[in-house]
Amino acid sequence: MSLRKQTPSDFLKQIIGRPVVVKLNSGVDYRGVLACLDGYMNIALEQTEEYVNGQLKNKYGDAFIRGNNAYLFFSFQYCI
Amino acid sequence: MADNMDQQQTTNTVEEPLDLIRLSLDERIYVKLRNDRELRGRLHAYDQHLNMILGDPWVAQRFETVTTIEIDEETYEEIYKSTKRNIPMLFVWGDCVVLVAPPLRVG
Repeated sequence: MSLRKQTPSDFLKQIIGRPVVVKLNSGVDYRGVLACLDGYMNIALEQTEEYVNGQLKNKYGDAFIRGNNAYLFFSFQYCI
Repeated sequence: MADNMDQQQTTNTVEEPLDLIRLSLDERIYVKLRNDRELRGRLHAYDQHLNMILGDPWVAQRFETVTTIEIDEETYEEIYKSTKRNIPMLFVWGDCVVLVAPPLRVG
């Protein structure tokens, strides 16, 4: 993945379909495959897992996260 | 932050997350709100702010309070209170919504 001049929106288009971690303002982590997102940073994840300190719940299928709650998300490759 | 993309109406090949919520209309969903609140109900309507109308919702508020009780020694007691309310019809203010998902299957 080249790090040329790209806007954040370009980055967001690139990581669609990749595993991501979304951090919310409340301190909860959501890890899943990024299905889609929009200009308000609303996020749709698949195979989502919720992490609060330890692992709380498993959400299979789609999970929608309201954009204003997310403050950070990054993509990483699962190393299993 | 991200550019303010005006892609509300025109969607290309990628569906917006709100379009996927549209698929959940008239289905039972699980909503997570701020302040440790959870909702389960049938989604009747929604909008771009994630204001929602839920029918037959089940509101559950789960909060934990840590209280110190001094008996002989100082003990910290964690109290988990879970109150559930059953409400026929509910309007959810979109600002409080954190997450929307299909109902969790307890298994």
